[in-house]
Amino acid sequence: MHRLWNRIDFAFSSAWQNFWRNAAVSVASVLIVWVVLLALGSLLLVLHSLDQIVALEKTKASAISVYLADTTPLSSAMDFKLHLENDSRVTGVTYVSKDQAMARFRQLPALDPSVIDTLGTNPLPASLDVTVKDIRDLAAIDQEVRSSPLVDKSPATNYEPNVIDKIILLARVAGIAGLVLIIGLTGLSVFIIMLTIRTAIYLRRKEIEVMKLVGATDWFVRWPFIVEGLIVGVVGAAVAVLIVGFGYRPAVINLQSVLIFIPLAFDPVYLRVVLAAMLLFGLLLGSVGSYLGVRRFLKQ
Amino acid sequence: MAVVVPTAAQIHLEHVEKTYPNGTVALRDVTLEIPKQDFVFLVGPSGAGKSTLVRLLIREEKVTAGTISVEGQDLSRLKRRHLPFLRRKIGMVFQDFKLLPNLTVFQNVAFALRVTEGALRHLKPKVEEVLSIVGLEGKETKFPDQLSGGEQQRVAIARALVHDPRIFLADEPTGNLDPATSWEIIQLLLQINARGTTVMMATHNREIVDVMRRRVVAIEGGQIVRDEDAGGYHAPALESH
Repeated sequence: MHRLWNRIDFAFSSAWQNFWRNAAVSVASVLIVWVVLLALGSLLLVLHSLDQIVALEKTKASAISVYLADTTPLSSAMDFKLHLENDSRVTGVTYVSKDQAMARFRQLPALDPSVIDTLGTNPLPASLDVTVKDIRDLAAIDQEVRSSPLVDKSPATNYEPNVIDKIILLARVAGIAGLVLIIGLTGLSVFIIMLTIRTAIYLRRKEIEVMKLVGATDWFVRWPFIVEGLIVGVVGAAVAVLIVGFGYRPAVINLQSVLIFIPLAFDPVYLRVVLAAMLLFGLLLGSVGSYLGVRRFLKQ
Repeated sequence: MAVVVPTAAQIHLEHVEKTYPNGTVALRDVTLEIPKQDFVFLVGPSGAGKSTLVRLLIREEKVTAGTISVEGQDLSRLKRRHLPFLRRKIGMVFQDFKLLPNLTVFQNVAFALRVTEGALRHLKPKVEEVLSIVGLEGKETKFPDQLSGGEQQRVAIARALVHDPRIFLADEPTGNLDPATSWEIIQLLLQINARGTTVMMATHNREIVDVMRRRVVAIEGGQIVRDEDAGGYHAPALESH
């Protein structure tokens, strides 16, 4: 117990001294760790948001809203509804009145209801929400309903065949680009931490010589440098964690007010996972960098 | 090949060869036995192989051929993780003291205990004990640059004593000291030897070796050319060995 405490005390006080003795190099490695973790955290959150959007779009994928012209009488709309229901490809049709459409619209997140009230009249069309058995039939149905005089022309439906594919592609591109960036930065940060440790070892070369001479074990000599690497990792991670932790929510709220129709949501559970991952990754960078440092420069 | 190590010898070298990677042959066919509590001078010109011998004993270097055993332990078979424990049995001092300039006398000595995880409870009494052996009571808070050369070497000796070593190796310990101070250091080594520690001192100091009349091992060109009890720095003209 006594010995363990001595070991820990020696490792931490030496590491702390090392950190400040070559402060410039230490700060450089903290900065690079910070950049890596900021990139990692942001990437994870962006990909998560795209996932959220894809998931929501997928639930909408087998449905199409056919917008009805304001001039269409309710009876004609009902006939049209019946006509669609008799179509073998269709599994269900729901009539949504102008008022119901407005009620739905009011529920969109981040939309100020008072803005809607200033509109006076209701600009939203009534619609027939059609669900199909097979998504591949959507295009044909979209074509057919467009020719009906009952249907509004601007726009006729909400059919956007490629939106999911586009979002998935965007997520994939963002994921790969982010991954490449993070791998590159990870390599760079491990290298810089290694150099930091090397500098610390150089500054302590006399002490290390004496330690080996009087019979200190290899690990007793190494620990202070490993701890120094961990300090670099933790400090860099802590700064990044604070920024991402406090920045995620305002960022989501700002984006929601700009991208009204994109279902973006603040996800505190996922945020916690991301922050924990960042901290762990910071520790990993610090320990790998310093381990390589002591391995390469503390031989013999 | 199994080598039977005689238990009487504390340090035993058997046909030891050492060739450095650059091709320099530092030692050739060196066989030497040093029993417990011996006091040995290792003499010879610079580059003769004295320092190599010392480095082999603390296994800073490995033999190219032959065997070395210390305290019955074959050094070529010693695992790296056991090396620190060999070093704790061997106290070492050098010509250049190797003190840490930013630590006080007390801290320099305590450092050796701290980094070998000696029980901290006994640290202070142990440091005070060895400092009193070398006669440095009252200088605990001084830094190395506030001390004379002789005092610095005493600190180094105190540091080498904290683990109660069985063997004390001194590589040119008086090389940087004036004659009067050198004699004080020799007295200290004798005192350590009298406490039961084997002492081996590599030196160029002819006067000391001649006056002391102790065992002398002379090395030249990597070979032992003379090994005599109560010897002098140079071989007597008519002595055949």
